[in-house]
Amino acid sequence: MTRRRLEAEVLIAGVASGLALVLDEPLSFWGGFDPLAGAIIDVHHPQYRASVGGSVLFIPASRGSAGTPGGIAETLRNGSGPRAFVLGERDVNIGIGVLVANRLYGLEVPVVQIPAEQMRAIRSGARVSIERGGGLSVGA
Amino acid sequence: MLHLGEQDRARLDGREGRALQFAMETVVAAAEIDRAAELIDIGFAHIDACFYNGRAHLDFVNYLLDEGASLAVPAWTNTGLVSLDDLGLRDPTRSEAMREAHELMQAYVRLGCRPVWTCAPYQLPGRPELGAHIVGSESNAVCFYNSVIGARTNKYGDYLDVCAAITGRVPASKLHLDSGRVAEILFDVRGIDPALRAKDLFYHLLGHVIGRESRAALPAIVGLPASCGEDDLKAISAAASSSGSVPLFHAIGITPEAPSLDAAFAGGEPARTLEITAADLEHARDELGRDDRERPLAGVALGTPHFSLAEFERLVALLGSRAIDPRLTFYLTTGRHVFAEAAARGWTATLERAGIRIVTDTCTYFSPAVRGLRGKIMTNSAKWAYYAPGMLPVEAVLGSLEECVESAVRGEVALDAWDSA
Repeated sequence: MTRRRLEAEVLIAGVASGLALVLDEPLSFWGGFDPLAGAIIDVHHPQYRASVGGSVLFIPASRGSAGTPGGIAETLRNGSGPRAFVLGERDVNIGIGVLVANRLYGLEVPVVQIPAEQMRAIRSGARVSIERGGGLSVGA
Repeated sequence: MLHLGEQDRARLDGREGRALQFAMETVVAAAEIDRAAELIDIGFAHIDACFYNGRAHLDFVNYLLDEGASLAVPAWTNTGLVSLDDLGLRDPTRSEAMREAHELMQAYVRLGCRPVWTCAPYQLPGRPELGAHIVGSESNAVCFYNSVIGARTNKYGDYLDVCAAITGRVPASKLHLDSGRVAEILFDVRGIDPALRAKDLFYHLLGHVIGRESRAALPAIVGLPASCGEDDLKAISAAASSSGSVPLFHAIGITPEAPSLDAAFAGGEPARTLEITAADLEHARDELGRDDRERPLAGVALGTPHFSLAEFERLVALLGSRAIDPRLTFYLTTGRHVFAEAAARGWTATLERAGIRIVTDTCTYFSPAVRGLRGKIMTNSAKWAYYAPGMLPVEAVLGSLEECVESAVRGEVALDAWDSA
């Protein structure tokens, strides 16, 4: 089994591993996401109905509303959220939602960023682990 | 590399207490994500974190209150999930969430926010001036502050809005900088019949098209008539930040930073020019809500964003002495301060007698549904038509304010011919 190693930029430091869930489009975590179920409910989104729980979530960026940090903090609070976020852009709203949840609930969910073209090569279901310094290991 | 001032560092080190330390850590994290070189002072904040989205919202503000947090700048509240004047308005089967939503709003009053509960705070006296650095959060207000007033704000999300108000500091990035406010693409509407450009619905439809077509680029518009007013620019702001994420548009000859094309583009050329036609707008109208002519009209929703005093005046004049068809549910949302002004003129009593339910503090386009709102709903708001059908058991039909009134009186959808002036 081949594993690839990438160097990601660390936005919020932490350690995590899990199976990749790769979103093809940006997502609003208010209105497009149910934070209780951890599910994508935006009917126009390519990953509509996908559950983000326990995944390493690869997402190009958030979109839309000011409510995104709250949706992220709530899904992390109730345990329905991802174990880590890998972004295609330096997205402040996702970063702040995770930072606040980490602080309030004693979590260590990392947020890292990789170039969008690297993200396109990742497949959902791949095993991913993230190191504190941003080292990203991706299995088949 | 982020440069911090002496006081910023003291707060970050915890020398001014845990609340300020937490708030400063949050602002600094945002600055690092944004790759800002420094922090700058703000003079005002519009807070969105008072809008309930789960228990985490309450945990956040309660932590700050327990640690003795206070605000460094005036901060006004956005709409809440519930109306403080009508707590049963939204789904009572979710009473626990509605109770927490209410508790959340009260917590922000305790933190020191001015409880205006409106998505259109720029309609109240005391708004920021041209060039002022502020925090906007609600998307239509961010776009209006930047575009129409020329105040400077990024599109702040929950928690960072509050942390900025507590520290009085934000990252010096994007729309706070001159370089982040230069138009990149141009929408030319000069080819559209002036009679159509004078209609209120024109601005909602244009905003929708601009939001959809702009993507990450900042738009400028050429060809808006001198007659266009703040309600029209509000409509563009709301629609463009719903179908897209437009935080700023320049309207040449209309908005304060765009006296000329040259000024809007800082001497450069548009990367792209889109000539907008009446057919584009008609397509937008069909996309947002076309009447299927099958199911009956069930209601009307106005006031997204919150109705202004000028809109109240127009509605009262359009309605005259007529009443709404009693089979319909007619909602109008506004802020409590505009409501008080309209009430003082006798307008709210007139509208309520005619069968219109006026709601303050919240809005009708999001879930859970307000009492009785289902089925085919007519609205004059592109933002309402964009969002509501995805979140509520409704279908939207978009019309002008006048068409909404005529339809409500007749009890059926009554649209003018598209090209009639």
